[in-house]
Amino acid sequence: MRKAIVVLALVGIGVMLIYAVGEMPPMGDSGNPDKVHIAPRYLEHGEEEAGASNVITAVILNYRGYDTMGEVAVIFCALCAVVAILNREKPGLSRTSMDVSGVKASVVVRTTIRFLVPVIIFFAVYIILHGESTPGGGFQGGAIIGASIILFTLAFGLPESTRKLPLRFRIPLESFAVIAFLAAGFTGIVFGVHFLTYLMPGLSEYAAETIRHIMMMVIEIGIGFAGGIIFTSIMFAMIREDQCELQPDSP
Amino acid sequence: MNFNRIAHNLNYVSSVVLFLLGLYAVAVKPNLVKKIMGLNIMETSVFLFMVSIGMVGSGNAPVVTEGVKPATMVNPIPQALILTGIVVAVSTTAVALSLCIKIHEHYGTLNASEILGTGGPF
Amino acid sequence: MSFSSQYPILLEAVPLAFAALCPIVGMWKRKLCFPFSVAGVLATNFFIFSLWGKVTSTNTVTYALGGWRPPFGIQIRIDYVGLFIASIIGAVGLLVLIYSWRYVSHELEEEKCTYYYTLYLLLFASMLGFTVTGDIFNMFVFMEIFSIASYALVGITGQRRAVRAALKYLLMGATSSIIVLLAIAFLYGTVGSLNMEDIAGRLQVGGYTSVAGVALVLFLIGFAVKAALFPVHVWLPDAHSIAPSPISAVLSALVIKMGVLGILRIFFTVYTPGFADLSGTWNALTQAVAWCAAISIVLASIMAIIQRDFKVMIAYSSIAHIGYILLGVCMLTDRGLTGGLYNILAHALGKSCFFLVAGAIIYKHGFRRITSLRGLGRSMPVTAGAFAVASLSIVGLPPSAGFIAKWYILWGCLQKHQYAFVVMVLLGSLLAAVYCFRVVYYMFFVGPYGDGIDEAPATMFVPAASLAAGTLFFGIFATLILPSLGSAARALLAG
Repeated sequence: MRKAIVVLALVGIGVMLIYAVGEMPPMGDSGNPDKVHIAPRYLEHGEEEAGASNVITAVILNYRGYDTMGEVAVIFCALCAVVAILNREKPGLSRTSMDVSGVKASVVVRTTIRFLVPVIIFFAVYIILHGESTPGGGFQGGAIIGASIILFTLAFGLPESTRKLPLRFRIPLESFAVIAFLAAGFTGIVFGVHFLTYLMPGLSEYAAETIRHIMMMVIEIGIGFAGGIIFTSIMFAMIREDQCELQPDSP
Repeated sequence: MNFNRIAHNLNYVSSVVLFLLGLYAVAVKPNLVKKIMGLNIMETSVFLFMVSIGMVGSGNAPVVTEGVKPATMVNPIPQALILTGIVVAVSTTAVALSLCIKIHEHYGTLNASEILGTGGPF
Repeated sequence: MSFSSQYPILLEAVPLAFAALCPIVGMWKRKLCFPFSVAGVLATNFFIFSLWGKVTSTNTVTYALGGWRPPFGIQIRIDYVGLFIASIIGAVGLLVLIYSWRYVSHELEEEKCTYYYTLYLLLFASMLGFTVTGDIFNMFVFMEIFSIASYALVGITGQRRAVRAALKYLLMGATSSIIVLLAIAFLYGTVGSLNMEDIAGRLQVGGYTSVAGVALVLFLIGFAVKAALFPVHVWLPDAHSIAPSPISAVLSALVIKMGVLGILRIFFTVYTPGFADLSGTWNALTQAVAWCAAISIVLASIMAIIQRDFKVMIAYSSIAHIGYILLGVCMLTDRGLTGGLYNILAHALGKSCFFLVAGAIIYKHGFRRITSLRGLGRSMPVTAGAFAVASLSIVGLPPSAGFIAKWYILWGCLQKHQYAFVVMVLLGSLLAAVYCFRVVYYMFFVGPYGDGIDEAPATMFVPAASLAAGTLFFGIFATLILPSLGSAARALLAG
């Protein structure tokens, strides 16, 4: 009965959406409304106005930088939500079911990962720093950093990872992305221009562009490292909860 | 209904199908993790839709390089928007999964009809 | 640029900065989190209330982020309605935060307190951002922040029923967010812009009207879930009744109002009333919302009467009040719209007072049943008195703010000769009198009375009492804001 109602509602929504799709402008046409109004200016002047030859990065950091500030606030908020619900800082929970199972990852896996993790992090730093001119950027690099730490944790266990990345080191880094954005914004306010303006007035062209470059770099690095640490912390908070169900019965 | 246009806008149609699929999973599937998967399918469908809006036939990536005219580049705005969308989707999923962990701890099951007595959370 | 012209951004950036620093402060000294967040909210309130002079003299204050001219960058646009709601957020947010202090240290484990305050500040900052933004995608981003923060705050105790309610809320809330995102995608695909005023201008030009109509329907569904309008209200009773009481107060007083504000922005700023090509769809949808709102009023009031749990009863009453607000808005007359907007204020004050009173009783005695409230009028006089005063506003009796709001909503219905709605509003008020005064009756007129006064701590009853006093103040001195609210309503209706 419930299923029938849901299917009926879905058919209604589906017909409405398909109808709308049929009325949409033809896909891929370069004369569509979205390609003649705002995008041309971004594509033509993005490099000199916003200081990044990858126009997507220019949009993310400069034209719509405020959205990105909201976005880093969203992941920060998700982190706070996860650690509050799962109570990360409750003492006495540092192991997972994996750690107490007694089955360790083999030497081959551990050695390979020991070699791989630095390389992966190096690649992530490349992705972060080259976000201005090639596809990539803070979030992508952050995801890779997070993945490398998760890989490390899977092979070496949670106690080892939390020893390498203790809480007092992770907590400031987690909010670093939001702080970097706000710092860039407040710099603008100090110079008497709008929030999140990167070109400061009253400086020579060279100095202004250098400062813009440094600010964008700091934000990208902030997003990258904070993103990676946030994913790691979410994972740590989630796996340590296993302890509650599985009592340690080491062989 | 403009059937010619529908046939031309095939990406949009597939994203509508994905959207309905996800909505069905969220509304009907009893397993909470499947509901969360349904949410993710819905989100992905919207991302596909947005990227398709910005597409230009045989266009280039919006990275300024020599010899590529801006008019042939795809629209960068939808790509920037879905980056935000992806992060939002990841965040929502993380919160949902941590709630699922807690629910499993308390109820010993992830079946919505068992947890709520009658029906799913809808 | 002078510093005072930076206030529009500072009112979101400052609480966000405090939120980002809060875990670091908590790592250093956990006890400092509370004074730290109070400082953040106080500073924000300074920026909000400093903007009043400017907004009343120039109608709208705009701020271009990054210095980009509006359609190319994100714009903050504060009109009278936005600032009115921002002020409610600021004031109620501050009082509830002060109230949280004792409640949280009593209810939550010590380790969670830091993140409680962080999430609270994020919720506060993002609601302000949502209220003042002039960009439709930016609105979505802030909507996501306050949604995620509220899912987490509902389930923060980690208790059995709390996590269940939080997940239920999350599944419906996240679905509605995706529907809003889909609507934004449709709109962007047909007008190519994300700035609200720019979209309004480009929709007037025409073309693709039917797609814009579908987007309007999707927006409405999405925001209706956030506002807990009748057919999609099912998440609210659970989430609002099981959350920690200060959070219930914020959710009822402020967060569901964000859904209403979203509907207002879509109806009046993005799709303007005088829009010829789409006026058929537009009028039909406002009628549909008006009927849903009217059904909400009656149904939720009946549901509130049959509840035995105090907090669930208050939660159902919130659904009814969302009904009043949207009914007033959808009458599309200046009186009705003024009444709807005034009810946002009246309900925010009255309902947060209700939840704070409920929280104080739970803190002190731990019971939630209405029948077990007997005799509290003697032992907790200030708390019970605050409840009695606030219930005047919730029922809509003079001299309270709720009376003014309902009077204008009724006036709006009469202007449109919608007598069915008049009957439903009056019936709703009658039912509200039953469920509110039943509690007052148990509190004051049924024994056994305890011996002596056993009041909640001062940080708990003072916020509740000041909110109750606020309902009276804005009932007696309604002329302070009613005229300018009326002209703001006329400006919205003119498009």
